[in-house]
Amino acid sequence: MTKHIIELLDEKPFDRFSEAEMVTIRQHISNCAECEKAFEAARVSTVLLNERKASTHEPSAFFQTRVLARLREREASNEVWNFGRLWRATSALASSMVATVAALAVLTLVLPAETSVTSQETVSVNRYSAEAVILNQSQFGEELQSDSQVLTTLYGSEEEVVR
Amino acid sequence: MDLARLAREGDESAFAEIMRRYSPRVFNFANRFFRERSQVEDAAQEVFLKAFTELRSFEGRGSLEGWLTRITTNTCLNMLRSSKRRPELKSSDLTEDESGWLEGQMAGLASEQHKSVERSMVAADLAGRVLATLPPEDQLVLTMMDGEDASVKEIVKLTGWSESKVKVKAFRARRRMREAVEQLLARQPNKR
Repeated sequence: MTKHIIELLDEKPFDRFSEAEMVTIRQHISNCAECEKAFEAARVSTVLLNERKASTHEPSAFFQTRVLARLREREASNEVWNFGRLWRATSALASSMVATVAALAVLTLVLPAETSVTSQETVSVNRYSAEAVILNQSQFGEELQSDSQVLTTLYGSEEEVVR
Repeated sequence: MDLARLAREGDESAFAEIMRRYSPRVFNFANRFFRERSQVEDAAQEVFLKAFTELRSFEGRGSLEGWLTRITTNTCLNMLRSSKRRPELKSSDLTEDESGWLEGQMAGLASEQHKSVERSMVAADLAGRVLATLPPEDQLVLTMMDGEDASVKEIVKLTGWSESKVKVKAFRARRRMREAVEQLLARQPNKR
């Protein structure tokens, strides 16, 4: 018996075997029932595939209209989606701007006030520092006068006050 | 290329013209993979929706038809992958006409005088049912190579697979199809 031809059958479609190959196949299947079954199945498979090739479907009359309608629908939904995306981007930008403005306001208004309080405190703690002396010269001048001197300035000499 | 450029720029009438020219080809191609007319229409619709979206990527190096065929191949393959595969087709699942057609083949009644439109339709439908039992990639290779006479190089171009992958797939797909048909033939009452 010649070599089984099953693998040969799967190498190419049935209708593309050469004359010589067909002679070899026919010789073998005349003595091999197993390969004969495979040969018949390969032949029918090729007929089936060829029949499939022959069947056709034409586009329906409304096919084009339906596709164009789907395209428009999709474009419209894309626009809505794009608007949504734009809106989200805008709100994110607005939020960040508000946050920035708030931060700037805090830096501008609160921090300088705190700084002035601190300098006043410094002055009150150390009244005789060079800075305090320079800034509050007149104040210190007044405080250096005794109470009696102030009274004298206001009401004249002690004697005059007694009178 | 002009049509493609115009369609890319949003000219709807140019895209309608592309559809008018190429939809018969797309339908014929999708028809090889799906038995139901509605599935063929769905596949064709998906192809043109994708084509419209991806027109920007069409650089005009190849033909518009070739570009659309590649989209059709991928679309059909994806649809086959997502659809439920029949595990096996038994002879008890066959219609009376399908059994009759197989009996005719076994009895050698495939001559011209026995050919008719009805018998061809039965055979085409049976082919679709047998193919549906195979993995999607096997269906693609068999349909293209054995059904459409496409060369290995053409399949490589359409799918992006290597040549050796196409050859191996074709070999295995033929064997699976042959075994499926052999099972059906073995259970026919009038077998030789």
